[in-house]
Amino acid sequence: MTHEATQITSPPKPSEMLLHLGPQHPLQPGPFLLDLKIEGETIREAELKIGYIHKGMEKVFEDRTYIQILPLTDRICYLASNSNNDVYCRGMEELLGIEPTDRAKYLRVLTNELCRIQSHLLGIGEYTTDVGFLTMFIYMVRERESVVSLLEAITGSRLNHNYARFGGVAQDLPPGYKEMALKSLGKLKELIKSHDDMMSSDSIYLKRTKGVGTLTAKEAGELGVAGPPLRAAGVNYDLRRLEPYLVYDELDFNVITQTDGDVFSRVKVRLLEILESIYIIEQCLDQMPSGPYKQDVTPYITRPEPGEVYSRIEDPRGEMGMYIISDGSDKPYRFRIRGPAFATAQALPPLLIGTYVADVAAIAASMDSCTSEVDR
Amino acid sequence: MEEGGIKLGEIELEIPPNVSFTTTSAIHDFIKDSPMQKLVNWGRKNSLWFMTHPMGCCGIEQICVGVAHYDTDRFGIIPRASPRQADVMMISGYVTKKYLPALKRVWDQMVEPKWILMMGECAISGGPWWESYSTVINMDEIFPVDIYIPGCPPRPEALLEGFIELQKKIVAQKDRTVIPNPADGEV
Amino acid sequence: MGDEQAAIQVIDKTIMIELSDKFPDVVSDVDVPSPNRAIARIDPSKVHEIMQFLLDKGFDHLSCISGVDYPPDKMEVVYHVTSYSGPLVITLKASVPRDDPNIDSLCDIYWNANWYERETYELYGIKFNDCPYLKVLLLVEEMEGEWPLRKDYAGYPNPT
Repeated sequence: MTHEATQITSPPKPSEMLLHLGPQHPLQPGPFLLDLKIEGETIREAELKIGYIHKGMEKVFEDRTYIQILPLTDRICYLASNSNNDVYCRGMEELLGIEPTDRAKYLRVLTNELCRIQSHLLGIGEYTTDVGFLTMFIYMVRERESVVSLLEAITGSRLNHNYARFGGVAQDLPPGYKEMALKSLGKLKELIKSHDDMMSSDSIYLKRTKGVGTLTAKEAGELGVAGPPLRAAGVNYDLRRLEPYLVYDELDFNVITQTDGDVFSRVKVRLLEILESIYIIEQCLDQMPSGPYKQDVTPYITRPEPGEVYSRIEDPRGEMGMYIISDGSDKPYRFRIRGPAFATAQALPPLLIGTYVADVAAIAASMDSCTSEVDR
Repeated sequence: MEEGGIKLGEIELEIPPNVSFTTTSAIHDFIKDSPMQKLVNWGRKNSLWFMTHPMGCCGIEQICVGVAHYDTDRFGIIPRASPRQADVMMISGYVTKKYLPALKRVWDQMVEPKWILMMGECAISGGPWWESYSTVINMDEIFPVDIYIPGCPPRPEALLEGFIELQKKIVAQKDRTVIPNPADGEV
Repeated sequence: MGDEQAAIQVIDKTIMIELSDKFPDVVSDVDVPSPNRAIARIDPSKVHEIMQFLLDKGFDHLSCISGVDYPPDKMEVVYHVTSYSGPLVITLKASVPRDDPNIDSLCDIYWNANWYERETYELYGIKFNDCPYLKVLLLVEEMEGEWPLRKDYAGYPNPT
């Protein structure tokens, strides 16, 4: 991989032309500009321009107290808001030297997995519209609503949950939640299996996705991607297994991998991960211990000791990390967000070179990057 | 009418043979004061196609509201990907210095009549990022906004309510839509 | 599972000893706060050699590059390096002078360093020597030179 692959180096020759995709585009939620230099139908060079919704989060976070940052972490990536809360709280717990209660750990795993399911469902849905499979989009959003209802029942919010707290969670499960969740997820499991069959047997869909946008394991490692695009290439890299946090070491689950690394495999990994997440949630609901869901005293005014922490987590899109430097005051000295989608977005232009214009939508959407988190 | 050419904004166009242009808005003015306008507005309010233009958290709710569960098709409100086919633009996130020129251009590409919905705190008043270095606030001074939908993010029901309020405004002729006026050179 | 992990951790701990043996005057303040984290301070002029050494030892994933501003006289470039096969994250900090911050680029070692370096450049003004495409990434081009994440940046909070 050379760096020439990430930018347009020269003006187009007479046989070539420049194609701007964006900033307003229907590919994914969030604006970005994808400049393509094409010759006929083939892409010769590609450049991704980001920053259209750069809000300067890291600067804003340095000006907020630790407890004020907590709801703002939702907005880093709204589809993975529970993961973001969790990675922040785990970092802060390490700085403050406290440990979440046992029940809170299970509750966090539960909400994280629900969040992963809804994120994958919307990711697949967005992607299927881009390959012209609108029926599947409608199905996926319909299925997502049932998962969002389950999240809403716990957290009280549809999108930005703000659920984790330092040393616990915001509230306990509502009464009768287990039955409701098992019924809803059982139905979802059947539906996902049927959607998987539908997508694996549609000959037009297979032709559009098999062998398109292939990313081998070696290339994926070089490009620094993580999450489903890496696992689709056959690399067994999952922080839930590699660096087990919360209670993932007590739960039984498989790390889903595929071998081809093409568009089809990336979507297949997400579909199968939904089933795996449902399995994890079922175990959580069974094994969840009773007890307090938060510490007796929630530390609202927090002045951690001077120090630093890098905490990371397996987001729906890969490795989400936060690097927090504390100087002993009530505000962080430096707050660095290492988003998985940033790494994935960077790997997009080299993937596009040599493919056809018609495949751009499929490849870009199958990477499932979240523009809000790329820009921050 | 000028001989040999017509001015559209900054561009001079040659008039092809057997084509005539009008530079008055007499028909429009006539309809505006007649009962006919009610019929026109009834048609407009029932076909508010909106542009899918997600810019943040609210964008996800915007996607959800267009399909399956909340199904805005019931009100004739249909998501469209292209600004040229859309009537309603939703500003659904924080507008940055980098994005503002593009957003203005997208707004100019939409055909009239067109309306703007402000969705979410970020667009309305700044939300959590109001003092950031890369963002532009007071969007209502830049765009003619009809409806403000507060929330962070607003629920899909709130977004639907916003559309219904816009429909009421259109029927009552109190909306801030831009009326095309050929005399201004705006086409 | 448990044995495998223990094996990985033993290898990981030795990497810090190997690193300080290989670069005795360059690597200092080695600290291993937890089994999965290690911190060291490095000399900015040798960052290229150190990263090449780590890559050869199997640390094949550059997680992140961040800048930190310590006015009035110094800035830090922080590298988080990790591996696709083990849980250890090595945090390496290189101090650069604040009046002329520059450090060698890692683009020829880790491909994905490019965007992180561009981001650190536009937010802090730290120049990465030999970076193939060092220009603004997230900000508007007019804002190049304002370095908004420095502690003495005047444009925050936004006066409007």
